[in-house]
Amino acid sequence: MKKLKAIALLLALSFAFAALALWATNLVLSYAFAAPDAKAGVAIGAVIPDFTLPDADGKEHSLASLKGKSGTVIIFMATQCPISNAYNARMQKLADDYRARGVNVVGINSNSTESAAEVKSHAAEKGLTFTILKDANNKIADRFSAQATPEAYLLDASGKLVYHGRIDSSRYGYLITSADLRDAIEATLAGRAVVKAEVKAFGCSIKRG
Amino acid sequence: MTRGLLTAALCASLACAAGLASACGGQGTAPKQGAAQPASKPQGSAAKPEGSSVKSAAAPKVTEIKEAELKSLLGAGTGRERPMLVNFWATWCVPCREEFPDLVEIRGQYGPDTLDFALVSLDDPSDIGKAVPEFLAEAQATAFPSYLLNADDPDAAINLVDPTWSGELPATFLYDRSGALVFKHKGRVNPDELRAALNEALKEKKQ
Repeated sequence: MKKLKAIALLLALSFAFAALALWATNLVLSYAFAAPDAKAGVAIGAVIPDFTLPDADGKEHSLASLKGKSGTVIIFMATQCPISNAYNARMQKLADDYRARGVNVVGINSNSTESAAEVKSHAAEKGLTFTILKDANNKIADRFSAQATPEAYLLDASGKLVYHGRIDSSRYGYLITSADLRDAIEATLAGRAVVKAEVKAFGCSIKRG
Repeated sequence: MTRGLLTAALCASLACAAGLASACGGQGTAPKQGAAQPASKPQGSAAKPEGSSVKSAAAPKVTEIKEAELKSLLGAGTGRERPMLVNFWATWCVPCREEFPDLVEIRGQYGPDTLDFALVSLDDPSDIGKAVPEFLAEAQATAFPSYLLNADDPDAAINLVDPTWSGELPATFLYDRSGALVFKHKGRVNPDELRAALNEALKEKKQ
């Protein structure tokens, strides 16, 4: 009889352990699923590790080789997104305005729905002369946790992220009340801290493969 | 005596396991909703025409809102009679347009008595009289209160909805009766996943 009780106790204990294990698994799983949402990406102040991507002609470029002497702007962009397209001229002007001042503009297309050939013809058609990389399998978008187009990242001379978010406050050029990316570039060039380091905007979602 | 204890322990562990298994179904459903039913507050959406006839292709009314109205629409922290599902979209957003048949189907399955379901367009305010209502009529999305968010500060509006949201469209958010955000999806919605979240939110009984 005593033996029976002992076995029963053991059984109960094992159930309790099973429940505990299930709870722990749940906890781990819920964290794992929450992770991509919890702004994994790159934090302001973090140094962006080097990466290599091909341009629309298939020529490989490392981030190190594209870096500007005084800073680098990385913009996740699209060929078909009307919001991104509304910024074509402004992105080109940004590249033109800051090239001489040591800030290089680099575009990245991470949309699985837009081919390298499309990126090339789009750039030619819109007169975009800055380097645009094709991020197949959205590997780099995932590393940055970039979600929208256009979505900009500004690295300072040392490769540290100092600004992330919108280019400016309005996709309609004439309504701009705050040119956030330009302000951030100017602050960085002047050796000042960026006042608002993260500013969001509505945009198209990056179409991940 | 010992046997009683054993049985209790066994039951407790089983119940625990079962309880946890169901808890993992809903994405962090906030269990605290004791104050679910204070004096029934008139909700922003309640006064809006619900456009009961789906077959009519009459263009629905779209109301322009600012951040403050968006905030009261979401009703964070307040008790509401029904869970609130909000879809952010725009006519220029291809996946948004593509998911409309799913949204309309879900609206049909969860009527206005069960669920508050609002559409918030991020189109240009000048499209409020034509492009937006015309698309809604064409998509037969007439049984929703429809809004156009003309935010002075999109950054603030986005963070108001969800600080982890980057502002990409489409995006869909579900708030339970206590006003807690219990489900979110960025990009084209998965109808089965959304229905599972809706069923979970609707399971919580009003008190």
